[in-house]
Amino acid sequence: MKRVMAPISSTKKKLQSLDFDAHWYRRVFHAFGSSFVVYYMLPDTIEWIAFLKMWVPISVLTLAFFLEIARVQGVISGSHFFGLRMYEQKRVGSYLFFASGIVILLYFFPQQIAVPCILCACLADPIMGEARYRFGKKEAYAIGFLVCLLFFVVTWYKADLWVMMVAAFIGSIGAVLGESVNAWWLDDDFMIQLTPALLLLMFLIGVEAMGVTALPEPIIYPSLLPW
Amino acid sequence: MNTTKMEYIKSNLESKKLLRTELLFTPMLILVPSLVSIFLINDWYVRGFMQGNAAFDGELMLGIIIFIGNMLFDIPFLRFLVKKRRVTE
Repeated sequence: MKRVMAPISSTKKKLQSLDFDAHWYRRVFHAFGSSFVVYYMLPDTIEWIAFLKMWVPISVLTLAFFLEIARVQGVISGSHFFGLRMYEQKRVGSYLFFASGIVILLYFFPQQIAVPCILCACLADPIMGEARYRFGKKEAYAIGFLVCLLFFVVTWYKADLWVMMVAAFIGSIGAVLGESVNAWWLDDDFMIQLTPALLLLMFLIGVEAMGVTALPEPIIYPSLLPW
Repeated sequence: MNTTKMEYIKSNLESKKLLRTELLFTPMLILVPSLVSIFLINDWYVRGFMQGNAAFDGELMLGIIIFIGNMLFDIPFLRFLVKKRRVTE
């Protein structure tokens, strides 16, 4: 009996530890996304860099899209994708929503909106996840709100004080609202980026319509490294 | 979303094979954000601090946020990865 039970127990332990690894793996993957702000350090004035900036993000996204379609349809085995959750078995993975959000922000939004929204998805989202796991849902949203507030204040610090405060408040509320989305077809990794971005865009359009320039100077400048 | 849906898909592959996927991406997942934050802080130092230009202070703050934000998750991840390797070896 012992001979049978020992391997079962050992396998169970391994599977439990894999669960936990997948948990941290997803968190690290999220945080890794913050590196994409390097996009703004790459100068548009050099032709080959401008070309890569234009085509690399969309190419990677397209590749991921076809990979996910193949996985959902069973053409590629799901076992090749580490750390997927049960609800992603018959739906495209969250990472595709995450990447789509980043690409949309990089292509269609000004840096002052895109950078804090990307940071919200990459850092505030896993922080909220950990806080929810340790303290509870309400506390997680409160912590998430404060973390997002910090990101918006840091990226809008060059704006007028009232603009910075309103923008930071709108952005943080939008990020927490986006994170609370609970639909299987629409992922929170997408909404946490696009909700604050759209709210801020509306705020900017409204303020500019009143004749006030609200958009501050960007905080990341193209690098002067010898490309 | 209920708890079952939030659970991870368990594979029938041996745990060593799954571990390989993690190990393959680990250097990239850890090094790239660190490099980006160093890149930002260096740019602040060279064009901002050295030339007394405060316009680059945002790059310093962003660099620190990216570095600390990543370390917050990298350290527990690496700790469990090392622990797991010891278990499987």
